[in-house]
Amino acid sequence: MRQPWKLKEVVLASLFGVVFGIVYLVAVHFGNIWAGLIGPIAYEWMFGIWFIVSILSMAIIRKPGAALLPETLAAIIEVMIGNAVGPRLILTGVIQGLGAEAAFAATRYRHFNLAVMMLAGAGAAVFSFVYGYFVSGYAALDPSFVLLMFTLRVLSGAIIAGIGGKYMADGLLATGALRGYAISRTKQGGARA
Amino acid sequence: MRRLLHDMNPSVKFIIVTVSMLTMAFFFNPWTPLLFWLGILAMQLTMSRINWKLWTLMMLPFTLGAAGYLWTTLVFGADTGGEVVGSFAGIEVTDKQWAHAWSLTFRVMAFSTLSLLFAFTTNPVTFVMSLMQQLKIPPKIAYGTMVGYQFLPVLKDELNQIRQAQRLRGIGRDRHWGQRIAGTRRLLIPMLAGAVRKAERAAFAMEARGFTGERRKEFYQPVHICSRDYVLAGIFLMVLAASCAGGVLLGN
Amino acid sequence: MREAVVSLADVSFRFPEDPDNTLTGLTFEIHPGERVAISGPSGCGKSTLLYLLNRLYPLNCDGIVEGDIRLFGKRAEEYRPGEINRLIATVFQDPDSQFCMTTVEEELAFTLENLRVPRSDMDRRIGDVLAKTGLAAFRHSIIQSLSGGQKQRVATACALVAEPEILLLDEPLAHLDPLTARNFVRWLDGLQKQTGLTVVVVEHRLDLWEEFFGREMTLGPGGRLLADKPAVPKPPTEFPGRLSRMTAKPSLSVTGLSVEIGGKQLLAPLSFEAAEGEVSVIAGPNGSGKSTLAKALCGIYKHNGTVRSTGTGYVPQSPEFLFLTNSVRDELAFSGLAAPETLDDLAGRLKLEPIREANPFSVSHGQKRRVAIGAMLADNRPVIIMDEPTSGQDAASLRELFSLIDERSREGVTFLVITHDMEFAAGVADSVLLIKDGRMTGKFRAEDVWEEPALLDAHHLLPPKGADRRAPAFA
Repeated sequence: MRQPWKLKEVVLASLFGVVFGIVYLVAVHFGNIWAGLIGPIAYEWMFGIWFIVSILSMAIIRKPGAALLPETLAAIIEVMIGNAVGPRLILTGVIQGLGAEAAFAATRYRHFNLAVMMLAGAGAAVFSFVYGYFVSGYAALDPSFVLLMFTLRVLSGAIIAGIGGKYMADGLLATGALRGYAISRTKQGGARA
Repeated sequence: MRRLLHDMNPSVKFIIVTVSMLTMAFFFNPWTPLLFWLGILAMQLTMSRINWKLWTLMMLPFTLGAAGYLWTTLVFGADTGGEVVGSFAGIEVTDKQWAHAWSLTFRVMAFSTLSLLFAFTTNPVTFVMSLMQQLKIPPKIAYGTMVGYQFLPVLKDELNQIRQAQRLRGIGRDRHWGQRIAGTRRLLIPMLAGAVRKAERAAFAMEARGFTGERRKEFYQPVHICSRDYVLAGIFLMVLAASCAGGVLLGN
Repeated sequence: MREAVVSLADVSFRFPEDPDNTLTGLTFEIHPGERVAISGPSGCGKSTLLYLLNRLYPLNCDGIVEGDIRLFGKRAEEYRPGEINRLIATVFQDPDSQFCMTTVEEELAFTLENLRVPRSDMDRRIGDVLAKTGLAAFRHSIIQSLSGGQKQRVATACALVAEPEILLLDEPLAHLDPLTARNFVRWLDGLQKQTGLTVVVVEHRLDLWEEFFGREMTLGPGGRLLADKPAVPKPPTEFPGRLSRMTAKPSLSVTGLSVEIGGKQLLAPLSFEAAEGEVSVIAGPNGSGKSTLAKALCGIYKHNGTVRSTGTGYVPQSPEFLFLTNSVRDELAFSGLAAPETLDDLAGRLKLEPIREANPFSVSHGQKRRVAIGAMLADNRPVIIMDEPTSGQDAASLRELFSLIDERSREGVTFLVITHDMEFAAGVADSVLLIKDGRMTGKFRAEDVWEEPALLDAHHLLPPKGADRRAPAFA
């Protein structure tokens, strides 16, 4: 690690996890029962929502681990809140976070543009799908159906998490709240250079 | 006896639950997850005190999810050969698909019950303290999550305030999911901006009280692992092993 | 005189993002047992100075320090992280964001664990500090369930459990109402006398501290030391004399309004009227139903009874909760009800022209409030309810709020202002609506209320010190 994490960054990641946790619960978590009956495919298109926090935090903090940590913290907090999915969520969080992290690591934490963020969203989708394939037994499903699920999830990751994460990061930057974080500094540095 | 699962070390419980879930992933016969599910239910009935009414309520969406799994696997099951045992709506179902479908359905039920067992018998604060003391997750992360947990009611209240204020300005309840996503952004920006400020304040308050993130040797309220945890872990593993063996025997 | 515990020699400080210094050429010493106030307007670097003393800065912001800071005779940068916090403890301003554990006891133990106090000593030290601070009954209380004033006392106990030499307080009263604030100061006064601690307080409202301080340092623009002299008690913020703008035309008429949520009655039926141009203050203890009334009046909460109004708007304590767009211009135009000329006129009157293209979240707090009021007026809501706009505001900001309300009331806007600050109320209000335990005690003429200390006391309010001072304006 080039720079150690500051406590305020860890706490930021944690609070982001809480904010997203609450908003998922209140604003997005609709039609649960309906989705349950439709089966596993009902959630595929909105999988990206769970990866946004990784991408948003990485866009702001720009340090190795900035995608993995918030996703993990968010998962631990969800478990603390009493999320019924329980401890399984922590492992899921770690794996999704690693998927997003992989994309940023592959570009050596130098680029934080839309393309990399979409790649990170897709990365999180791929990792989470491989894990899901194993744990949820997708092997028992028809390969073309599995392919459809996979495509939906990757698209959701790239579009909802990648584009959505970038959109949120830009929106938040414009509010002036991110003074003192890497995202503000590079913008200024870029302007001066 | 009825407090055993509540008093179990949370990290040990966490590891056992995780290991059980990963093990289940290797079985596609219907009996293993069914037996395991029944085993966990029996443990929960005898070794915990929980609000079964609430439990049933929380189990409901999972049960529906399991039903979703059942028909998805029947309709979109992999072509694995085997004898056709029946058909409906023009879709033929083989005995293997039938077995797989029930296996995945019971797997969902077993996972859900296991998750609820954890959620209903674990104190969240003790869980994080135990993650730090037993599984050695760094204090910065442990206390970072603790701060997030403390902020939960504050942020929930803030979300309410924001929703009320925005409704006053004519933002109605969005119906379409597209509107919902745009509406979510409007909710998120003020919340996240507030979270950035609160995060810095909370972090400063912790550091001003000497928190450096170094590992600590002594705790005011240590979380221990004792013989009870080994016994309980042993029981869990026996239930797991018995379900695996029983499933393989019954499956043949 | 004993050796200085803090000594600064020509210290300057700059944030890496800023071209200008936040603190410039500071030289001073603080001696054991002193009670020092650091005052100055918002943004003068007071808190930054405090953060240099407890070593939160420069590390946390990568700031650039020049000059020599010595703490207990040793150069500040020679302390290991966390080391100085045994000797210098801090209480912050926001009661809601300085705790990380659930109960008071756990929170105290958190400090002790950080300082590596042996476990065998912890119980004794927790008991001692709770006894000393009079909080023994709260040992097992859930922190989030305590009131703001109680939380600030717990925060102080968490600082004192480290047995420090210096206690720093960063605007500890900012989020407390005046009565709670006064009680906190008196409590702290007793504590300091008992322990002989050095106390350094960053504060912009010194009037609330009465005679607490022995010394006052004043910082000015660029973080320069303007004055460093023995402290004298400060009068409260003064507001210019104001003539009532109240007309005879009613703008709000409430009959038998009551609120019931989840089967619980939050407000018993109440009736009152307000006129165009009237400024009415709503006051009462915490949890008495002030915000419930505000939310019922503007239609956020369902209610029984009738509310006839020319249009009721609401400005929450955090005005940004209302914002929906990316520019002040769009924010004003959002409802689509006002013509472009009206919007131009509104922006001019509210002094929003210079920031019209700015992001509404990024402007100052005072400007946010103007934007929020502009949005309400553009939405044809000439009755405006403001929820605790005085909380955490410095003198300049309070005066700005005063003139904002005064000018709008001249234009016929009706204001209902929820506040605990009776100094402010005495300056601005035509009438005072008192609420207690979900019931309206009554709506009084402002001049009449200040004459009744018993009535104010029953509603947990401090009578304004300036009440007599303002009388000549009416003579």
